[in-house]
Amino acid sequence: MNGAIDDYVANLRGELDFDPALARRLASEVEDHLREAAEADPAWPSPEAERRAVERFGLGREIAAGFAVDAVDRQARRTWITLAVTVVVTFVAMRLRVIWLDDDVLALAPLIDRYAFIAALAVGVIAWFAFRRSLAALAICLVGLLASIGAGIVRADLFANGAPIHVLLSAAGEIALLGVLSFHVIGLGRRLRRTALLRSGAP
Amino acid sequence: MLKGHLDAIVLAALEAGPAHGYAIIEAIRQRSAGTFDLPEGTVYPALHRLEQASLLSSAWTTPPNGRRRRVYSITRAGSAALGERRKAWGRFSQAVDTALEGGRA
Repeated sequence: MNGAIDDYVANLRGELDFDPALARRLASEVEDHLREAAEADPAWPSPEAERRAVERFGLGREIAAGFAVDAVDRQARRTWITLAVTVVVTFVAMRLRVIWLDDDVLALAPLIDRYAFIAALAVGVIAWFAFRRSLAALAICLVGLLASIGAGIVRADLFANGAPIHVLLSAAGEIALLGVLSFHVIGLGRRLRRTALLRSGAP
Repeated sequence: MLKGHLDAIVLAALEAGPAHGYAIIEAIRQRSAGTFDLPEGTVYPALHRLEQASLLSSAWTTPPNGRRRRVYSITRAGSAALGERRKAWGRFSQAVDTALEGGRA
């Protein structure tokens, strides 16, 4: 039969499922803490000493919420850095395509390429100053960049049009960064949702 | 109110030397003469946050009693940050003292 400490540590690991590496690290650290606290209890060795050590430690859910808030901040920082790099690379790739191509500026693809990028940039700048933790703003930036990059590839017909290597490489760079950005935006969404659940007390 | 100052209190507790989580919370309790009787687990998010900010470093050690422990140490950047927070707290507490005493004059 598990003691109060084993149960508590297992529960805490579950609450920290948004960061498995942290959950592993903290489990052994918290177990060490609780065993030392239980041994310092006058009732040691007894289940009562373990129960009191767990009580003094605090609710696992509240401790996990403390970590979740920090995890959101770190993930938001990573996402913003990736967004900034993606915007710069997309802009460079767009300019390289414009220099290489001599297409009709009134065609649909060049318009989407340009204005979706401008919209993503505008939303990103506003969100940076006003809503840094806003998942919606980051998702809008992501969709804008996705539209811009997609339109840019269609516009240039890159893979069938004998594009020069620097144009192909810049396009590959923006696609790769878009993938990383999507990964970070999804990760931020998961962490925001987990933080809200931990704070609300919902299962 | 304490939550906003927990990071500085943890840094101050580690100024005397490296310690593990249980010893840190005991030091905080003793230094505050029991006033800061926090749930013991609240110190861990603060330790992790301070380590992420490079204000603390940590390493696993195995003391003579055989139990493996993660021991935290304050870094040079942590000492500098603690100095800044002490100055800020000094200015703030002086301003509050002045405001509270002002009504008695």
